[in-house]
Amino acid sequence: MKEPSAQLSENARYYWGVDCGSSEIKVVLCDASGNILHKKKGKTLFPLYQNVYNALNDGDATPFVENSPITKDNHKIIATGYGRHHLQFVDDKLTEIKAHFLGVQHQLKLDVPYTIIDIGGQDAKVITIDNSKVDEFAMNRKCAAGTGAFIEELAHRLEVPIGDMTKLANQHDKEFMLNSFCTVFSGQEVIKTLMNGERIENLIFALYRSVVKRVLEMTVVSTDIVAFSGGVIAHHPLLVELFGQKLSDKEMVLTPETQYCGALGAAVHGMSV
Amino acid sequence: MDLKQIMQNYFLDLDAAAKDPDRKVAWCTSVGPAEILRAMGFDVYFPENHGAMLGATRLCMETIPVANSKGYSPEICSYLTSDIGAYLKNITPLAKAYGVEDVPRPDVLVYNTNQCKDVMHWFEFYAREFDAPIFGIHSPAHLPEVEPEHIANVVAQFKQLIRSLEEITQEKFDPKKLERCLALSSGATSLWSEVLKTAIADPSPFSFFDATIFMGPIVVLRGTEIARDYYRDLLMELEQKVATTRSRENAVQKRVYWEGMPIWGRLRHLSELFKRNDTCVVASTYCNSWIFADFDPHDPLPSMALAYLQIFINRNDTYKEKYISDMVKMYSVDGVIFHAAKTCPNNSNSYYNLPGRLKRNGIPTIVIDGDLCDLRCFSDEQSTNVIEAFLETL
Repeated sequence: MKEPSAQLSENARYYWGVDCGSSEIKVVLCDASGNILHKKKGKTLFPLYQNVYNALNDGDATPFVENSPITKDNHKIIATGYGRHHLQFVDDKLTEIKAHFLGVQHQLKLDVPYTIIDIGGQDAKVITIDNSKVDEFAMNRKCAAGTGAFIEELAHRLEVPIGDMTKLANQHDKEFMLNSFCTVFSGQEVIKTLMNGERIENLIFALYRSVVKRVLEMTVVSTDIVAFSGGVIAHHPLLVELFGQKLSDKEMVLTPETQYCGALGAAVHGMSV
Repeated sequence: MDLKQIMQNYFLDLDAAAKDPDRKVAWCTSVGPAEILRAMGFDVYFPENHGAMLGATRLCMETIPVANSKGYSPEICSYLTSDIGAYLKNITPLAKAYGVEDVPRPDVLVYNTNQCKDVMHWFEFYAREFDAPIFGIHSPAHLPEVEPEHIANVVAQFKQLIRSLEEITQEKFDPKKLERCLALSSGATSLWSEVLKTAIADPSPFSFFDATIFMGPIVVLRGTEIARDYYRDLLMELEQKVATTRSRENAVQKRVYWEGMPIWGRLRHLSELFKRNDTCVVASTYCNSWIFADFDPHDPLPSMALAYLQIFINRNDTYKEKYISDMVKMYSVDGVIFHAAKTCPNNSNSYYNLPGRLKRNGIPTIVIDGDLCDLRCFSDEQSTNVIEAFLETL
């Protein structure tokens, strides 16, 4: 990753994408061609403004001055994510649905219909792209099943570091399903299953399968290509393989900048407004 | 007369009626036989209107849990739980709004199941509490078409109701009074329909959120001159607004349709959300619910039966699909937002894939989760995200 100070010029145009998600803030800086010059992420914490500001101001040579991040005319800041409406200093805002589409499309440059599965901290989205635009989308309802929060809650219950989960799940020797839809009740089910002597590796594998099941219950995936984006996929790559097993007649594509798709899409959006 | 004054007079008069031994108060469901009650000399009170007020003022968030703790499930109609909770807690939004301390005590309760069955349980609670007589019109439901036998069925129930009410009032039913009342109702409802149709104009002179306020008189004052005169004046005002808004400078970019109940406690939040996104909610099924084009003063009981039976909520999904499709065309709507109200399945039409069927016919749709009153079922953040993402796709 290049430092922004090494790239910035007074005469060029720059586009900052800020994805203010429920768990993490992701920031990317792009040049006018959409090349990523800089990216950074941090926890979504209070005060939100300050945390975003910290992410934008990365080092002494940033284009921004204290409390006035839009002083440079050649810089545009676009926000997406749940926190987008809380950022007053941005030039424009867009939803994560469109941002993830723009971010994925910018990287994959697909000219056929495809589906984006984006698993975020508190929501999961299945977005259908047709004719180079969002055709329709489905989101999880008021329930954390199938989201990052679901995985985090159960990792906490199991006292397993998030980063170890894929490794442990790959060591499973048995497949079964968790029944509960509700995150809290799934937690109870997990503890009960452990008490009954089940291996933790099998439980984690079941947990991943549960996420896949919940996401695919939201809508029918009708396209031949499925692209993945979002932070949860970045931390839990086994999910892509499990989706592939369920959607065996389709091509699975992991978007390169998985976690930054939303932020990148926001920056790309900045080029058109 | 302005709207606030009309509503204040209505509630003050109801309060006076409840305290006057010579006057009688009837409680009625919003699409119940209010015209019969009014023609027979009752002052009519609509608990659903009270439920909406509890929702709009968000007082319901204090009262729903009271009803829940008394055994009324959080899954059932939150008008019911809001209202019964308010009664148990002895509070009412009428106190602050109009200086009326109590809802009027009923001399009789009359419900119609053309909307749902919950109104029956709701009214039965109060019938027990006040030891008051209760009558129900049990309507044939989910109709593809309203057939003569359906009308005959309901007319027979009206006749039985009239006989029962005669015993309560000790007065003979006067058909002329019903004709007069129905003529006034018909006039008001026609004007209300014309008011709503002014939103066909682009830019629309008002939004769904304004209409939920304008609709007060057509809900509680059907069958009176007051309602008819209010909508005559309002129509003139809106037509003038349409005529003078020649420039498209302020025209909104998108026009959407709201299907389902209002989210009473978040009307302003949602109104601002749409405004922020250059969108006008130009029409709704909900506000159209008080259009009764079939009222005929020359054929009162059958025409009332027809009008009450053929309301949208009492029809099957084939009818609903066509109805919404027609509205989409009439109002030049870009997309339809379905509100899935957690405690009002009867007035939530997204559960059996109606949005999917409309989508297949080329009408963009989206579903948001919420509730008419219970804000525990509604997420500001999630609904904002879904609505904004939907508007982006239009």
